[in-house]
Amino acid sequence: MDLSQALLLFVVLAPGVVFSVISLLWLLGWVPKERVVSGITGIVFAASIFALAAIIWNVGAGPVVIKFRDWFAVGEYHFPLVLMADRLSLPFLGMTVVLSGLIGQFSTTYLHRDHGFLRFYLLLLLFAFGSLLAFAAGSFDLLIGGWEVVGITSVLLVAFFEQRPAPVENALRVFTIYRASDIGLLLGVFAMHQWAGTASFAGGFPQLTATRAAVVGLLLLFAAAGKAAQVPFSGWLPRAMEGPTPSSAIFYGAISIHAGAYLLLRAQPLLAHSGLASALVILIGVLTAIHGTIVGRATADAKTSLAYASLTQVGVIFVEIGIGWAWIAVLHTLGHATVRTLQFLRSPSMLHDYHQMHSAAGGELVQTGKHLRAFFPERFQLWLYRWALDRGHLDTILDRLVVDPLLWLSRIFAKLDGIAFGEITKRHEEPAISLPVDAGVRGN
Amino acid sequence: MSDPSLVLTVVAISVPWFAAIMAAITQRQARALGFSASFISLVASTLLLNTTSASESLNAALMVLFSSVTLGAILVLPRRDCNSPTIGGILFLLGSTLLGYATENLLVLLAAWILTTVPFYLPRLFRALWRPRLSLFISSLALALAIGIIAASGHSLTIHELRGKSPGGIAAFALLVVAVVFRKGICPAHAWVADAIEGGPVLPAALLLNGHFGALLVAKFIVPVFPHTIRNLSPLLSDLALATALYVAIRSLSENAPRRLIAFLALSQSACILAGLESRTTEGITGALVHWIVVSVSTMGLFDVLRLLEVRFGENLTAGTHLGLAGHAPRLAVFFLVFGLALVGMPGTLSFCSQDLLIHGTLQSHPQTGLLLPIAIALNAVSFFRLFTRLFLGKRRTGFTIIADALPREQWILAAGVLFVVLGGLFPNAIVAPRLAQAEATGPPAHALLRRAAMQR
Repeated sequence: MDLSQALLLFVVLAPGVVFSVISLLWLLGWVPKERVVSGITGIVFAASIFALAAIIWNVGAGPVVIKFRDWFAVGEYHFPLVLMADRLSLPFLGMTVVLSGLIGQFSTTYLHRDHGFLRFYLLLLLFAFGSLLAFAAGSFDLLIGGWEVVGITSVLLVAFFEQRPAPVENALRVFTIYRASDIGLLLGVFAMHQWAGTASFAGGFPQLTATRAAVVGLLLLFAAAGKAAQVPFSGWLPRAMEGPTPSSAIFYGAISIHAGAYLLLRAQPLLAHSGLASALVILIGVLTAIHGTIVGRATADAKTSLAYASLTQVGVIFVEIGIGWAWIAVLHTLGHATVRTLQFLRSPSMLHDYHQMHSAAGGELVQTGKHLRAFFPERFQLWLYRWALDRGHLDTILDRLVVDPLLWLSRIFAKLDGIAFGEITKRHEEPAISLPVDAGVRGN
Repeated sequence: MSDPSLVLTVVAISVPWFAAIMAAITQRQARALGFSASFISLVASTLLLNTTSASESLNAALMVLFSSVTLGAILVLPRRDCNSPTIGGILFLLGSTLLGYATENLLVLLAAWILTTVPFYLPRLFRALWRPRLSLFISSLALALAIGIIAASGHSLTIHELRGKSPGGIAAFALLVVAVVFRKGICPAHAWVADAIEGGPVLPAALLLNGHFGALLVAKFIVPVFPHTIRNLSPLLSDLALATALYVAIRSLSENAPRRLIAFLALSQSACILAGLESRTTEGITGALVHWIVVSVSTMGLFDVLRLLEVRFGENLTAGTHLGLAGHAPRLAVFFLVFGLALVGMPGTLSFCSQDLLIHGTLQSHPQTGLLLPIAIALNAVSFFRLFTRLFLGKRRTGFTIIADALPREQWILAAGVLFVVLGGLFPNAIVAPRLAQAEATGPPAHALLRRAAMQR
């Protein structure tokens, strides 16, 4: 293993190892001080930034690839354990370590004495590990691993303020969308294994016929759309704003929201094979960009407004990927992630910033898009406003078409069980609960 | 079986039985007795595993697994539950289950099958629940009749002598399927599982489920002995199992009772084991065997944490509203989360590998119905996360005088379980490779037949 390989291994593993050690010690009773946790996190990300800089310095010689033995192998199926830092993954790796380190430093003050301080840092470390694993994966198999770690940490941070029911319920909603869209990724990777015998891209992309490339491309697009909150899955993004501002910044302004774009960039050779898949990527991107810009104008809070602004830009990035402008998409991603992170981190003091800007400009700033009103009749404007207020009815449509029928079916099954066999208990039909005051004194 | 193996097997089985009798007689030091007996069983099973070759080690590996989860359950068992009848019942169950794992004789397997159900007919242990009792009775009766038909047709009753012979024909096969369906809780006989968990002592009932005798019958007997019938009636059992996985996954979406909900999750996930075993692919069978381990450890972990919550916060827990218990018991919340995510295929846990293999195996053998598996797993993940958020998140309850998070005894055992599923997920080859050898020992007749059929075509 040469120096670049060792450094890449360090960059990917360091946050995961630190997370594991601190978590295990905490589970066994140790409670670290804030300064210790934030200090260790800072050191990890600072070291990772230097390590990555050294890798970038040497990358002219070609991609850094580390091939381990198969993670596991059964018959002809094997799970390759390959890490790769190439010209596509390095910008994403750099973005992850720099912004994670930045968020770590920012949160030292922002979350000082918050009862979830340790939890936030542990989830930040786990998230960074998941992202780095996904971006440095040399195969789609390994990418799934990082992808799902990013998903679960994202959901747990949405529910960070667990005392309020809204964040908790929204976390459940986000989790549901993530799991549903992950099915596309699982099936896409399975199809690659079946048709190409591999899902590894470290030694060249799996070769597929046009039809098969279209099938796999569409499955990957389904997964990417879910992760990147594209239409019709956009409803989860404003719900995810319930998390603390630093996590909103790094997840929905920077890294997590662009993971879908990264997946499509990785799958670009497949998309290039299939006009249908490319067209759908463009269509979804266009719809999302329009949806994001209209709905964003009707939102009443800063973070949600920024979330929809993110959505619009990611929609445009999808369009760029669909057209085949991969490098423009990468540059767009890097620029967008950086600016949006800054905006999210400034959002708690947005009013103060606006006041400063207004006083500097000598009056209120003109809203963008105001001139468009002249083109639309008033009734249409009102309709559009209502549509935007309900966020394009996307949640309602998903509820009516998917969630409600599933719950209806579930209740039917429950009744069937009851009719056929007779229920033994009815007490859980009532959600109310009264816990005994002295429950903890007895028993254990 | 060589003599040292026989001795170790006898020790692993008889010590828990002896300890169960001691517990019934002395009525003292129940936990110490239970710990000692299950620990001796674990050591004997581990030594047995070391003496057998990888391809013949399925029985010993299952013995190690079951004695480990029993040992963990006995140590975690809250003081309120830790009485002689419960410990005696658990030890009796341990001995009987290990007997079922260890034997190659059908009559002994039948005896073990029936013995493991005995604690559930004792009113002192279980409330009068007709559904579990009826289901367990039907499964025992069906197995007895199948063995009767095999014996009547003049065949040997030793499993390895019956490989590939389809003894007793379609009648015996049908009865075996009935036995599996009722024992494993496959649709439409699924409802008894939730009843058993809801109405009885949760940890002994969970141990009964985690014996996975239905899967054992499929892995040890049906797949190697009835390859022709499986091929002809394919994909009867795996389709039933996949339908169960999906049906129960959808059913659990509207379930609010935590015990029943976890029982449904366990049922849905363990139905995947059957689908994998009957997939007739090396990936599917290996995935099923690994998944067996994951489901056993994870569901026992979940039931352990749930019982600990019940003794702390009362038994009227519900997923109908947010209870905010993480504020009182953060470590229990983390244990619960990790075990739950390990059950539903979270990367970094062993179930990620097992479900990866299962999905590949079932999709290869049943491309249409195999699609149900990832959907069922995703729905289970949603149900689990709903349960987690409702139990642990939300406004912190006040009014408790003393609320303990995990006690040191509980912490160490649950941490060991978490480490197992996580380290198993990070270094899966240590667990997958031996299962591969076992899968190849289980599957060859079916594979050979398939290959022959393909060549004839």
